[in-house]
Amino acid sequence: MEKLECLEIDNVAQVAVVKFTDPKVMDPSRIEQMGAELLALLDNEANEDVVVNFENVSFFSSAAINKLIVLEKHVRARGGEICLSNLRPEVRDLFSYTHLDELFQIRVDQQAAIESLAK
Amino acid sequence: MTRSSWIWSIVRKIPADPDQCAPLIAEILDALEMHRWSANDKFSIRMALEEAIMNAIKHGNDSDPDKLVGVNLGFNDDTFEATISDRGCGFDPEDVPDPTADENIGKTCGRGVMLMKNFVDSIEYNECGNEVKLTKNKSISPG
Repeated sequence: MEKLECLEIDNVAQVAVVKFTDPKVMDPSRIEQMGAELLALLDNEANEDVVVNFENVSFFSSAAINKLIVLEKHVRARGGEICLSNLRPEVRDLFSYTHLDELFQIRVDQQAAIESLAK
Repeated sequence: MTRSSWIWSIVRKIPADPDQCAPLIAEILDALEMHRWSANDKFSIRMALEEAIMNAIKHGNDSDPDKLVGVNLGFNDDTFEATISDRGCGFDPEDVPDPTADENIGKTCGRGVMLMKNFVDSIEYNECGNEVKLTKNKSISPG
């Protein structure tokens, strides 16, 4: 497991699992750091498929959404897939309002997300 | 709603610096919590307010800390109201492309305005678009 300033990255069944650990990660001043760490996980070639676990996330701004979209583009460009999991209802609703549930796979929990990416 | 009916209010001018946003939002959320606004209402207000303030900081004031963002907000038992202003030339919110359109979903812009609209009961821009007023009515708790 790798612990960064904003994220914790683990590898489970050949899938990179990302969790947000910094309670202030969604502060506007921290979003750039969060975005940089999300992209940096792709420096490891083993991190082809990615699950982003939202269990510690109670708020998600449009700026944070943008960082996720950038990650999705990079993951897809490398032939990988990304899946989101453990979204609280209010955050899940956000992905519905914005139609981003058409861009991102979303599963109830981490295990289901990992299984959805199994090749 | 007139300001005289507000039971809590602030009037601030903050530098156009993203570091200024979180402490201000935290102060407002604490006040809402003390006056028993629901978690859902606080989420909605945080969403709309943060988008409005960050738009003013980044787009209106070009993230120039020498430029100020005006924050004038308050609430009573029923209604939250916030007016956010910047020093920019403004914009026409009608010109913002629909971020939910198929061709725009993968883009990293345009969602803030839509989210603001979605999370408050009314949103009004001044004529040139460098000031926005957000109004959120307190949710009625189930009996």
